[in-house]
Amino acid sequence: MPSPEQVAEKLVVKMADHAVGDENTVLATLGLGSCIGIALYDKYSQIGGLVHIMLPENPGGKKTVKYADTGIPFLIEEMADIGAKKRRLSAKIVGGAGMFKSESGDSVMKIGHRNIEAVKSTLKNLGIKINGSDVGKDYGRSMYFYVGDGRVEIKSFSRDLITI
Amino acid sequence: MELDQSKKDILKEVANIGAGNAATAFSEMIGQEINMTVPQVELVNIQELPAITGDEEEYIACIMINFSGEISGKILLVVDMENVEKMLKLIFATDELPGKEMQHSALNELGNILSGAYLKAINDFTDLDLDQNVPAMAYDMAGAVLSSSVIDYSQTEDFILLLETEFIAGDEKLELFYFFIPEKDSLDYLFERLVGGNFA
Repeated sequence: MPSPEQVAEKLVVKMADHAVGDENTVLATLGLGSCIGIALYDKYSQIGGLVHIMLPENPGGKKTVKYADTGIPFLIEEMADIGAKKRRLSAKIVGGAGMFKSESGDSVMKIGHRNIEAVKSTLKNLGIKINGSDVGKDYGRSMYFYVGDGRVEIKSFSRDLITI
Repeated sequence: MELDQSKKDILKEVANIGAGNAATAFSEMIGQEINMTVPQVELVNIQELPAITGDEEEYIACIMINFSGEISGKILLVVDMENVEKMLKLIFATDELPGKEMQHSALNELGNILSGAYLKAINDFTDLDLDQNVPAMAYDMAGAVLSSSVIDYSQTEDFILLLETEFIAGDEKLELFYFFIPEKDSLDYLFERLVGGNFA
């Protein structure tokens, strides 16, 4: 077990970026709107990875981590490099909201919804089970992935903290 | 996308004209003198966008107006929540604010007026036909709102062109960020029009 002073090196992942870490790490990403944060966890080796994707499909862009379909496989490779095994990975997904509304209350951009679909189908094709999710609706979220025990905490405005 | 100094100067001039007219409209709406910062023209990495107005977890209001026509793009008005309240008190000319629905509709109207004034000035200057769509709004963490606002432009681009002006209203020290974001394909057309026309 890590001693308390070793615990919690916090890495903040920017939009269209990723990070990996061991059991002493907290991987965080702040202000997810229609973007999605995907936390992948190898429980056995206590290795975690987080990628913050913006869009469903890569049309050939160089920044692979920006898109669900190329960002997730990229994260898996990065995790494998430090000892994680793909077959042991599980996922928790957060975000994919519709942030903007017209005066009549209709959501104006459907990208959040498309991101959720793309993340789910990419994970399914890779054979990775989703163990927890807090997605959709109309509000922003910050997520904190505690690699030590695999829990993900989600903070939003005027809402209670959620743990998945 | 690259931007040399002469193109930057052109865009600065466009922003100056647009924002100047918007500031006048804003001033009339809230009955306060408006100071406007010199417009900044910047290519911003999309990763930096969530924190462009300060703290990415700060609670803000954002009014977004898409425009289309000979060039297309979007206008974002961003105000933090403390300033939203100040602004609404000025708009309604009372400390007793009406219900949320009235407040939202006032902010929508503000969006319409400020974007209308900006686009009208650009139209007068460039003779480009521009139509504005109805405003959309979001109230939440700055990061969540700002990243989502331009997500449709980030499909193939890792940088976003921002024309930024800050409005500061007289006694109240009310701050409002005004962003004009032309779509990339529209830029070439805009330059061609301005350099080839009577601007150069």
